Amino acid sequence: MKKILLLLPLLFISFLGYAQEVKNIDSTAIFILDKMGDVIGDLESVTFELNNSSDKLNEDQNIEKQYSTSNISFSGPDKLRIRTEGTEGKKGYWYDGSYLSYYNFDENNYVTLEAPETTLAMIDEMHMNYNFDFPAADFFYPSFTDDLIEQFDAIKFLGKKTIDGEECYHIMATNSELNVQLWISDKTYLLPKHFVIIYKNKSNLQYQSTFSNWSLNPNTPNSIFGFLPPPNAKLISILKKS
Amino acid sequence: MKTYTLNIKHKLGLILVFLALAFPSDLIAQRMGHGASRGGGRSMSRPTSRPSNSRATTSRAPSRSKSATRPSTSNRTPQRSINGGHSKSSSRNYSKNKPTNRSTNRSTNKSTSNRASTSNRASSGKSKIGNNKGSGSAPKLDGSKKRNTSNVKNKSGNRGNASGNRGNASGNRGNGNKIDNSKRNINIDNSKTVNINNRNTRVNASSRGYARPPYRYGGHGYYCHRPYYYHPYTPFYWGPVYRPWGFFVATIATTAIIVSITSDNSADEKDEYHYENGTYYMKTEDGFVAVQAPVGAQVPEIPKEAATVEVNETNNYYYGGAFYEKNADGYIVVPATAGTIVPGLPEGGEEVKIGEVTYVQFGETYYQPIQVDGKDMYEIVEVKSE
Repeated sequence: MKKILLLLPLLFISFLGYAQEVKNIDSTAIFILDKMGDVIGDLESVTFELNNSSDKLNEDQNIEKQYSTSNISFSGPDKLRIRTEGTEGKKGYWYDGSYLSYYNFDENNYVTLEAPETTLAMIDEMHMNYNFDFPAADFFYPSFTDDLIEQFDAIKFLGKKTIDGEECYHIMATNSELNVQLWISDKTYLLPKHFVIIYKNKSNLQYQSTFSNWSLNPNTPNSIFGFLPPPNAKLISILKKS
Repeated sequence: MKTYTLNIKHKLGLILVFLALAFPSDLIAQRMGHGASRGGGRSMSRPTSRPSNSRATTSRAPSRSKSATRPSTSNRTPQRSINGGHSKSSSRNYSKNKPTNRSTNRSTNKSTSNRASTSNRASSGKSKIGNNKGSGSAPKLDGSKKRNTSNVKNKSGNRGNASGNRGNASGNRGNGNKIDNSKRNINIDNSKTVNINNRNTRVNASSRGYARPPYRYGGHGYYCHRPYYYHPYTPFYWGPVYRPWGFFVATIATTAIIVSITSDNSADEKDEYHYENGTYYMKTEDGFVAVQAPVGAQVPEIPKEAATVEVNETNNYYYGGAFYEKNADGYIVVPATAGTIVPGLPEGGEEVKIGEVTYVQFGETYYQPIQVDGKDMYEIVEVKSE
């Protein structure tokens, strides 16, 4: 009897563990996310357009909206080109498998850095070292669904919604800091259509993006991923984050 | 005897229940695994079963060369995938410790396993790209492909000295150079061999508070009174007698005066500067080379082109990138003070991208491009660790 009593606390400990481990993950949402991941993972090249709106706190602590439009091209595992134009200026990224160049059209200066061999490793490294933000890069991580599951406490499927005349699966992922909502189009392929990130702890600042003009496996010439500095453009230095 | 067996049963039962509850994630994973989240017929142990397709970055080069020799009619290679293919962890157990396989686990055998029969992409365009890629995958150090890359700056740990220097702003300026012996000269521009002495680029704190929030990047706050307004950095010309840093002369006029300043390298030694018309020269083997003004140098007069700049509500004089304060004996070179607005910068500066802004850097001084009444100017940035 004593031994059984000894086992009882263990039993409760296991309950505690259970309470911590459990996450509210909706299998339908995961299924849709996985399907979308499959489509993206099977792409050999892709180009699309992204319309962004992001909130920023200005010096008076008021929310200021910024808008931008990006043209994004991926090709193979080691080519990426992004061109962004908006209220915060015009800039571009070129990555050809060896070098990443960032060019600021307004300042007419650029940075060229040796880069890792794959697009994803490059995105990771450049973001970590220099705060480079690659729009919508999250979706192109090979383990996007697993990353969501790891990061969020709840992932829910909220039903079918129509955006821009396209039927979309609406998925919401939440944790204590973020509320992320994805609309994944069911038009022809399962591809992201729209997403919103709400920063709960930062005045509910929002970051929104709409995808459009998907072109799957286009025949993109490799030369567009190499950066050729315009005349008089200046190569400048860059400060590493830490 | 009977009670004994019952005990065993109880214990076994309890242990079973305990085990079941202690590893709830596995149970969930199975439920998920057999539920909607997985398509049928897909191998769960993708990465280990096909090492040849591993997308680990280290094995990338050999696998590339293989793709080049692949017949054009073969099945589509997953190596062309923009992200190496979708990867899902084999056990979706939702626990915090689950590996995400982000970089190492890129392989997707699902695309190879049943593609051959279905896809059969004979598209010559694709294979052509593949071949191009093979030839384009030259090693990074190949001289023909080597590109000019940006100078990558690191924030060194001795920034703390800037604050250590602050208290001295009023009384003890001449001694600012004794503070740090670890500082070294950094060569900013190799083509012009301009040496920027860090000692002379320390920034005193601004006496005014900052109404504007700092620009934050990499654990530092960059404080400025005025908003960022980019204009390209072009060295300023201070008039006919101005000599940029690095300017070389074989001999200097006899009117030049000698200024002794405690050396960087040793507190006991003194560096001798030859001052003439706003320019400081240091003796070299062949002659004299113009250098940055040393903090603490006392000179009788400065060129008339010197501009008046407001520093902490007093007037300083600015010439050739150096700040002067007037005193009984003439003028003394003082350290830069954050918040000071200057009309132009000398040569030897370097434009540095710091997150989303581009500053001009001289040693440890950062200048933010600003605009004042339609004129391009610079404000000295105050950098604080956060």
